[in-house]
Formats: sequence, C-alpha cells, structure tokens
Amino acid sequence: MRVHWRLPVVCLVLNMAFAPGARAQQVAPDDVQTLADAIDRFIAARWNEGGVQPAPAANDEEFLRRAYLDVAGRIPMVSEARKFLDDPAPNKRRALVDRLVDGPAYVRHFTNVWRKVLLSEAENSFQVRFLVPGFEAWLTKQLAERVPYDRMVRELLTAPRDRQQLFNNPGQAEPAPGAFYEAKEQKPENLGAATARLFLGLRVECAQCHDHPFGHWKREDFWRNAAFFSASEARAEQGAFDALREAFDRAELDIPGTEQVVEARFLDGAAPEWRFRVAPRQLLADWITSRDNPYFARAAVNRMWAWFFGTGLVDPPDDFDVHNPPSHPELLDELARQFAAHDYDVRFVIRAIAASRAYQLKSTLTHPSQEDPRVFARMSPRGLSGEQLFDSLVLATGYREPPGNRNPFDFYGNSPRREFLTRFADQVEGPTQWQTSILQALTLMNGQLTSDATSLDRSEILVAVAECPLLDTTGRIETLFLAALSRRPRPEETERLAAYVESGGPHHNATAALADVFWALLNSSEFLFNH
Amino acid sequence: MLERFRGKLPSGVLSRRDLLRLSAAGVVGGSASGWLEGLAAQTAGHPARRRSCILLWMSGGPSQLETFDPKPDHENGGPVKAIETSVQGIRVSEYLPRLARSMDDMAIVRSMNTKEGDHTRATYMMRTGYLPQGPVHYPTLGSLLSKKLGQGDAELPNFVSIAPFKAISPGAFEAGFLGPQFAPLDVGQGQFPGGPPAPDDAARQLQVDNLGRPGDVTGEQFNARLALLSDLERGFSGGHPGGPPQSHQAAYEQAVRMMRGDARTAFQLEAEPPALRDAYGRNGFGQGCLLARRLIERGVPFVEVSLNSVAGNQFFGWDTHANNFESVKRLTEVLDPGWATLMSDLKARGLLDSTLIVWMGEFGRTPRINGNQGRDHYPAAWSSVLAGGGIRGGQVVGRTGADGMRVEERPVAVADLLATVCLSLGIDPMEQNMSNVGRPIRIVSPDAKPIRELLA
Repeated sequence: MRVHWRLPVVCLVLNMAFAPGARAQQVAPDDVQTLADAIDRFIAARWNEGGVQPAPAANDEEFLRRAYLDVAGRIPMVSEARKFLDDPAPNKRRALVDRLVDGPAYVRHFTNVWRKVLLSEAENSFQVRFLVPGFEAWLTKQLAERVPYDRMVRELLTAPRDRQQLFNNPGQAEPAPGAFYEAKEQKPENLGAATARLFLGLRVECAQCHDHPFGHWKREDFWRNAAFFSASEARAEQGAFDALREAFDRAELDIPGTEQVVEARFLDGAAPEWRFRVAPRQLLADWITSRDNPYFARAAVNRMWAWFFGTGLVDPPDDFDVHNPPSHPELLDELARQFAAHDYDVRFVIRAIAASRAYQLKSTLTHPSQEDPRVFARMSPRGLSGEQLFDSLVLATGYREPPGNRNPFDFYGNSPRREFLTRFADQVEGPTQWQTSILQALTLMNGQLTSDATSLDRSEILVAVAECPLLDTTGRIETLFLAALSRRPRPEETERLAAYVESGGPHHNATAALADVFWALLNSSEFLFNH
Repeated sequence: MLERFRGKLPSGVLSRRDLLRLSAAGVVGGSASGWLEGLAAQTAGHPARRRSCILLWMSGGPSQLETFDPKPDHENGGPVKAIETSVQGIRVSEYLPRLARSMDDMAIVRSMNTKEGDHTRATYMMRTGYLPQGPVHYPTLGSLLSKKLGQGDAELPNFVSIAPFKAISPGAFEAGFLGPQFAPLDVGQGQFPGGPPAPDDAARQLQVDNLGRPGDVTGEQFNARLALLSDLERGFSGGHPGGPPQSHQAAYEQAVRMMRGDARTAFQLEAEPPALRDAYGRNGFGQGCLLARRLIERGVPFVEVSLNSVAGNQFFGWDTHANNFESVKRLTEVLDPGWATLMSDLKARGLLDSTLIVWMGEFGRTPRINGNQGRDHYPAAWSSVLAGGGIRGGQVVGRTGADGMRVEERPVAVADLLATVCLSLGIDPMEQNMSNVGRPIRIVSPDAKPIRELLA
C-alpha cells in the first residue's frame, strides 16, 4: 500500500487536534499480545524443564477451522475460508479472532456453552428443559451486552427466585436467570454445592453427608455454605407455586436429619457482616466475586483455558484442591490477574489465548514428549459438541432445516436437530476423550443429512458444484474440500481423487463419483473433530 | 486405558484422581467390595457359562393388584379374580393365565417399597439405582450390567434397547458416566398415545436406525465410498495416533461389520415361523420379545423391551389413573402372551437357565380405587418379578396386607432388588466405576440388602 507523502503530516495535525494536552500520541500497549506472550513464556518454561519438543505451528487452514469452531461454534463457509486463506495481511489471524469475538455467532455459541455449564440438569429433566429458552434469553443478553463476568455472576446469584414468574413466562421469551435455582430444585444444599463448584471450582458435595475424605471441608462447612440459599416456603393457594421467602438479613438452616441449626458462613470460615435488609445472597455474591477471593478469577480463566485446549490448567476444571494442583501455577495466576485487571472481560482472555503460540500449534504428534496433554506441546484433537457438529454439517451441506427444527420445546426428539443433538450428546469424559458410538457412525454414514447432501437429486450443493461451468474437476474437488474441511486438498489428494472422479466410480458417472468424495469427506475424522 | 495416567505431576507423584482411577481399575489396592464379593463368587455358577439378562420395562407403573398381587377378598381388589398357578399356594390375577403356567420359573417380589411417586424421578431411580443428583450422570442398568457381561469384539452391541420411551426421563436410558461405548443400541421408537403401529408394521418399526444403506446407494458404491474414506483416514490418523480418531475408526469398523454381517439378520423377524410370531402377539411388545430372544441367542448379554402403549388405551403405558380395569386388561392381553411365549421359547432352546428376566415399572398403583375407576401412583407397596436363570423360581418374597396398603413382611428397596439381579448374574454389585465427578460409584448403592432367598 503506497502511503501518500502528506499522510504523516495529516496524522500529526489530527493527532494534535484530537488529543488535547498530549504532545505525542503513545502507542497503546497491546494487552492482548502481552498476555499471549506471557502464556507462551510459561508454557515454554515447562517444555524446557521437561525436555519437551513442541509440535510445529499450525498452518492457516488449521488455524482457520480451529478458531471458527472454538469462537463461533461452527466451521467457516467456503467464502469465508477462501477470503481468509487468500488474505496476505500478516496480522490476519488476530484480525479474524477479533472479528469472530465481536460477531453474533460468538454470542450464540457461548450462550450454548454457558447454558450447558450452568443448567446441566436440562439433560435429564423435562421441567428444566422447559426453562432453557428463558435462561438462554438471559445469557444472550449478558453476552451481547458484554456484561463483565463478575457482574453476570452477581446478577445470577441475586436473581429473584419467583417461581410463579418463571413458569408464567409465555414462550419462555423473557430473560429468566431464576431458572438456575429451579434447576437445582430450589434446595440450599444443591445451590450451595453448585455455586461453589461452578464459580470457585470447589467440590464440596462429599461433605454433605460426612467430612470430606481428602479435602478439608467438614459437614458443617457444607451446610453453612448452603445456608445462604435457605428459604422457607409459604403455602400458596390452589394451583399457584409456593412462594419462597428468604431471610432479610441473617440466614440460617436446619441440617436435615439432625437437631442442628447453623448460621450461614463463607467457605473460608469467615462470618458474613450481616446488615439489615441486605439479602444473604448479596453478601455471598460479593464474597464470591471479590477481588480478594483467590478462586473466582482462577476458576473462570481455567474454564476458558479448558474450552480452548480441551484440558484445563487444573483438570478436572471444577476441582481446585491441594491434591489436584495446576500444571502451570504461575500461568494460572497471571491469567487470573489480567482477567481481573481487564474488568473480567471474557473476550479479552479469549483473544489472548487465541493469539498465543501455544494455541496455534499443530495437532499432529511429532514427538513422544507431546503425548501428555498437560504440557500443551501440541493441540489435542477434540470432539465437537452436538450443536457444533450439526451447525457445521448444515453449513457444509447446505441442508435446509425444516420449520420448527429449532423449536426449544421439542421434547420428544422429533426434529432432525433434536435427534442429532441426542445422538451426539456431550460426553462426560470431555472432548479430548471423545468416543464415537456405533449409532453415531451409522447416522453419519447412512442418515438423512448425509444422504441428502450426497444424493444426486436432493443435494443442492453437489449439483451446484457439479454443474458450475467455471469449475473443472480439480476446482470441484477443491470446493468440496473447502466446504467440509476448510482447506485445499494436497497435490497427491487432488491427483488421486481427480482420477477417481473422472473415471466415474462404479457407476461411470462423474457427478456420482463427486458425491462419493463428498461422502468420504463428511465421514472423516478430519471433519468430525476439532484439531 | 493407561495412557490416561500420563498426566502425572512433575514430581512423579500420582494425583488423587489418578489414584482413584487406578484403584477402581483394580490396579492399585484391593477391591472394596467386602462380604458381597464372596456371595458373588458363589452365585456365579460355572465361569464358562455366559449369562444374559432381559429387562421387561413397564412404563407408567403397572398395577400390582391386577397382575401379581391380587386382592379378590377386599374391596380394593376391584372386580378382578385370582387364579391358581402351576405352583401351589401362589395365585395371580386372572388377567395372566399363560404366565400362571410358568410360575415355577418365576419369583414374585410383592414387597417393593420405594419412595418416589414421580414418573421422571422414579423411572430414573429404578433404572439406575440412584436418585438424580446434581451433576452425576448415573448409568442405566443395561449399561452397568452389559459392561460386565459383554464381550469386547462381538459383532452385535452388548446392550440393545427395544422401543424405549425415553422422553419421560431422558437421563434414565443412557450410559451416563460409563461413556458412549456402553450406550444402548436403540431399536424402534417408543410410542406415546396414539397406540402402537398396525400389526404388520410392528416388525418394520423394530429396526436399527440407519443400519441399511440409503435406497439410492448400491453396495458397490458404498464400498467405493469406504475405500475413499479409508484413504483419508490413513492420512489423518498417521499424524494423530490414538484418541478420538482411533475411537472413530473403531466405531466405523464395528458399524460396517454390523451392516454387512450376520448382525443384520438378527433383526429380520420374517425369518421366524408365523405361528410363533402369532404366539408372541402381533404387536410392538410381542414382536419386541421375539427380537429379544433372537438377540440373546446371538450372544447379546443385555436386552430391554419396553411396553409403552397398547391399542385402545389413550394414555401413557400402565399409568391407569382412569378406567383402570379395562385398560390393564388390554395391557395384559399384550403382556401375558408376549412374556409367556418368551419364556417357553427360551426354555425350548435351552436358554432360560442362563437368562435372567426382570419385570418391573417405576412404581405400583394405589390399592384404593379413585373416582374415575382408576388407580394412582403408589410406591409404598408394589410388585416386581424375577424369572429364569440364576434365581430360584416358584416362590413369593414379601407380603402386603389384606388391603394392599402396606408391606407387612420383607420390604425391598431398589438397591436390594438390583443387588439381587447382579448377584444372580454373577456380578459383584459393590464393584466401582469412576463417575464424571471424580468420585467412584458402586454399581449398586452400598446399603443394599440382596434377597438371598431368591438366589439359586
């Protein structure tokens, strides 16, 4: 790009005009890059300690697909892929992530991600599933409005527990954070345990019935924590929900099965400073989200790390314990510090992670020292969530979803999307240990979506590619690769597959042979996994 | 499996989580099963004999008074009479004439005493042995048992679920924290009001989704596709050994084996003589029982068949809140021939001795008849039945009072029943699996008191 000779002068003049008092503009420090560099420093330090040889850097194609899946929850469209791959700008990777993080797909994807974290009971219960749309409406609002994470947690912890309102929400269209409480059955023990686990990474469940065998939680600690959520039920009239009345200030709880009544106390043993008319949950929210709470920011950034690498610095991510130390303690601390310093901006941390060299390593195993996922010497291949897979398949195949496909009240699994989500439900071992089942394999090989996408009559994308006069065989194959795998085929792949297509396959029909190639792409590990 | 333990701390010390995992896998430390371990060893029978289990799942909560615990001398019993069975002293409802003749092979538990009266929670509890608890995804019975009974390299999956109606309690039908390789292969969809399909459709419904190639894909073309896929996979898995890609390839191989092999023929009910298909009953449940027999024959260790609806009933399964007597009659007209034929068929093929049949629903029904001639949910006193191999048939365990309201003798909780099931299959119910919250969880809750009188 040629710079006009007048440009620097104009810049200086403008600068002086719009920066009152500033003689020379300081270059704003690139905090994202600074944090990314810190990540790499700490990760590399451990490599050096252990004689680990990291995998080479991922190429543009690998980065493109990975970033789209992790930030936008789907693979890129062919046009998006071409645009990125052909862009010569040196900072295009940063620019891509910035664009994705500011886009609507981010909001959609992370509404899903947060909902699965906060409302995991929806998998097993109809009642909770009914409330999902209202809860997602609240999450979408938080994400779209860029509400800082600590404020989001405080809002959730102090949300009204009005059950009547929760169920009188037509179409569940109004934001309803109260669904969180309903999902935990409004029980203080469930709420205490869930909030400790989700926001502090502390597993206190064992201590519900007995002193924790490994940690230091005693039974009384568990119940004192639960007491913040105690509420008495006031019987309502016929047909209405019992109203929950919480204490105005001091909260207490009867430990079930005993005569003991305990007063609410924080998990670190400190007593809350009860104030008149300040609700117990408000005090708990303040304590949890306080900058002095060592777990809050750490648990949050650890969760984000696990999203992008498949394994947390503390793993499993909701078990911060002396017996389960972080793999990179200083890194965890630094991430937490920067997260808090930047106003608990989740997008900031995501941008920094995505800009790091560690995130941009290949997923191929080039040295045995890379096998341990906790040294982060290569990107671990990860399974996709049902939503990521379905949305990616829809994009890759041009599948037209039937109306009502995304009906959130589809409980009986009748829509193709719902069936797919059930078939490809999240696995409890996490995405790095993804196991494919026979039914999943059969669905991908012979199911409706694939068969429509690879049928000569029904597949619009196939017909478009096959009949496009501007494409030759090589071009057609390249387009299918870009659609499914977001990359161009390697020369030997092109050679082999072009020969197959031109020979027409078993039916001596070039389009049918093209359909076969597309089928193979859609069933490949390369398509099915995030790598 | 051991690759997972590479995540050790720099100092070489195993984290607590690793220790628990190693311990659960039996690598470190001893088994924690205690006294039940001895009992398991005794009841295992000959180690070479492979055991199977069929669960007959009665969605909705079947009425015990019109089935296995009739009360003809009390007004709670309603109009239904009791009939003699092949075992002296044991009487059942007149609605079960054919089953009555097989009583020597059956053991009735009349003293089921559970506390859950809600469909979703009770279904979950009876099918997993635990109440739904926050983040833990408890596995269903079929996953737990088939994990122990199954063979790794079998052509057919180890756990098949026929016509499950999952919607009522979605978490209760899955492998939970055991992972998808222990998930059931679902065959046919459970029906909800609107009745079962027409008789000749019943067989078509009982197919594995997507087991066949789409209509417009020939065998040759399918093979060509697999060859192309194989090339792509070779390229990818070279650089990505183990992990998700490896599981992907294994699943595809198994799926293709199922598509091509004998496995497909298992689902071809047309191969059976029409007279036998008539005896089972030309309906979803009856043909489902026939399919179960075929799968057991082919070595599938765990099959469940759900009875969710019958023609003429407008509601869910056995949930007879109204018009109980006519509705249960229709249900038993499907249940009686289906189950009785299953048992006689298995017996004729010499398979009954090695096949345990479990019959139960999520709860029973109120002895007091409500205003709609119906019965409502009743977990306080109800019946379940164990039949076939591994148990001593021809007996009744427990007793309810004359009015059927309370258990008077030998109350049985869900853990007690499931522990008994495990032991009769030669499985130690106290064995642990690692859950998704890092805590090891036993197959059956440790407070279980198995029904020793039932064990063979």
